[in-house]
Amino acid sequence: MTDLNALSDEAFRAEVRRFVEAEYPPELRHPPHRLHWEQGRPWFDKLQARGWVAPGWPREHGGLGLDAGKQIILIEEYERHGVARLPDHGVIMLGPLLIRFGTQEQQERFLPRILAGEDIWCQGYSEPGAGSDLASLRTEAVPGTDQEGDHYVVNGQKIWTTLATDANWIFCLVRTDKGGKKQEGISFLLIDMRSPGVTVRPIINLARHDEFCEVFFDNVRVPRENLVGEPNKGWSMAKALLGFERIFLGSPRQSGYALARLKLLAERMGVFDEPDFQDRYTRLRMDLDDHKDLYETFVAVLRRGDTLGPDVSMLKLHQAELFQRITELMLEIAGENAGLLEPMGGNRDLHPAGQFIEARPTTIYGGSSEVQRGILAKNVLGLPG
Amino acid sequence: MSAALDNAELAEAVRMLRDSAAGLASRGGDRRRVRALRFQPPGFDPAVLAAMAEQGWIGLLLPEQKGGAGLGMTALCALAEELGAALAPEPLVPAMLSGSLLAAAGADMPLERLVAGEALVLAAWQEAPSTLEAPGTPGAPRLFIPQAGGASAFLVPVRQAQGLELWLQPAEGAALQLEKTQDGGFFGTLRPEGGALLGSIGEDAVADALEQATLATAATLLGVMDQAFVLTLDYLRTRQQFGRPIGSFQALQHRAADLQIQIALSRASIAAAAALLDDGSTSRAARRAAVSRAKARASDAALLVTRQAIQLHGGIGYTDEADISLYLRRAMVLANQFGSAALHRRRFAAEAHDDMLGEDAA
Repeated sequence: MTDLNALSDEAFRAEVRRFVEAEYPPELRHPPHRLHWEQGRPWFDKLQARGWVAPGWPREHGGLGLDAGKQIILIEEYERHGVARLPDHGVIMLGPLLIRFGTQEQQERFLPRILAGEDIWCQGYSEPGAGSDLASLRTEAVPGTDQEGDHYVVNGQKIWTTLATDANWIFCLVRTDKGGKKQEGISFLLIDMRSPGVTVRPIINLARHDEFCEVFFDNVRVPRENLVGEPNKGWSMAKALLGFERIFLGSPRQSGYALARLKLLAERMGVFDEPDFQDRYTRLRMDLDDHKDLYETFVAVLRRGDTLGPDVSMLKLHQAELFQRITELMLEIAGENAGLLEPMGGNRDLHPAGQFIEARPTTIYGGSSEVQRGILAKNVLGLPG
Repeated sequence: MSAALDNAELAEAVRMLRDSAAGLASRGGDRRRVRALRFQPPGFDPAVLAAMAEQGWIGLLLPEQKGGAGLGMTALCALAEELGAALAPEPLVPAMLSGSLLAAAGADMPLERLVAGEALVLAAWQEAPSTLEAPGTPGAPRLFIPQAGGASAFLVPVRQAQGLELWLQPAEGAALQLEKTQDGGFFGTLRPEGGALLGSIGEDAVADALEQATLATAATLLGVMDQAFVLTLDYLRTRQQFGRPIGSFQALQHRAADLQIQIALSRASIAAAAALLDDGSTSRAARRAAVSRAKARASDAALLVTRQAIQLHGGIGYTDEADISLYLRRAMVLANQFGSAALHRRRFAAEAHDDMLGEDAA
């Protein structure tokens, strides 16, 4: 395998572009919602054949070992082409966490199965009573010992578990200590979803898609060796991993794509040249271009090899709200089409209502806009708690 | 030009500029100086302007063979930001505009004196409010000349059949009317008459010089809003009401976060436009679009941040004695200078190509 890090940025970009243009299934470009595992499988197979499943993992663990700058280029090219996100919690979240905090045994057991597409992971963090205030989570893991060895018994419920129906494993934050500071009694546990006592119930979201789920744990027995890191250290491990991926929640691509569709819609509705529309459209374009400039300043931090500070929150916050404003204007100019459940005339690019709905959760997931503003105020601006 | 500097050299030049700006007009330190100069003709300190000239700032953009420093817009924007934060009332950006015009007209003698700080020549180009057009109508009043009371001469573009000419009219004996501005300075209205012909000047040279002044004004606004925000954050951390610092209230925290985002967008937009201008290989339309985007953002954001700064200071914010109002007043003067946000949005719409949406197009 050639050392991709040795390529110039331009050559690497061209390489990625060639790959997606030749190999990415055209019918999967720009999907309106997350793909289920089986839908995305043809693309996963291509990635696997090329050895590109885990761009960020070190090569000794089967990854590409790409530096941050190259990883950004890879994502940019995927976004540009409309490459769908696969159920990728194993690659993006769990893999790096195991590589950093897991035992050699855990790494050897789980990492190859992620690369092979044999284990599909989902993330069990949020709970009905622990959303923005995640650290108050209550799903409990009680240690015990029986003839089969040391284990935990898990009881509780997770929610907003993305694509849990597709997954056979879930990594969870669970409570192992109820005394003291709430962040300090949380552990990181790997749970086989085929264990007795695990129930998954899909939730239909506003887009009428079954993207996320509830996961119930009823006396689920989990072997002790499935604990990652020390007991009660799960919170800091999970937080340490909120790495540079945070920048992608602030990528301008989502808004850029929406703005192009706004233009298309405005032309179709015959309002594109109206001064009122032009004024508002221009403002949105300028917001998008300014956002791109801001995004690039954070990319530059990563390219220098530095880590992102808490100020990256502003990127996600501004992107999400810009995306929403674009889709709100779509709704306004669409006439009665604003109320349609399906795309106009079957054209996926003309679906103002769908785009509007699609934009709603962006200010909620990955830390709501309110949470992000709190982070900016306290951790960046130094306002008192 | 700056293209000759590599990134590290440019970063070093910018750092040194910021340092020397802090020496002459520090961000936080000399609001007493600013107050003392307010509404007193000429509205600034000629000695400080001369010191700025001595630092090489008036000739910052000019090539070395014209007595300049040969730096680019990235450097100028850093300097303008510092002087904006310091609320320095000296008309450095207008003086630089004159320098660019004189250089383009090949008027070496007055240029030399301007760059050396021996004579303040101010461009009298504007014939309408909020414009970037210099039509050069013979005899038409020239409006909104910043700090005009301190000028020793005016540069007047005049349109002739064959193109634009640049005339130099001495301030002495000129028909000049002064009006006070909110920030303690003076706008001049000049009825052009007589003077000496310096030479002809290209339309593009005038447009480019105005482009640079526009972006430098955006950077000045960035400094103004940034420093107003710093003072406001200090106030939010220390002002106690209901038994706790008001900055602990979530409504105010979230507002502060939103202001921070606007400042960050302004900074990113200005830096990108400066890099684009310094690059030199981009199209005129792309340069104009980038400058307009930066100025529109900076104008809107500076007014937003400085009026929120007043609001967040409460009653004391409405007193003339509280320094926070100085930033609002400066923003009010600069926001529409070299084009309002609305003008720049229109210009952006006209200049930005759709392909700038890139491959997002569905």
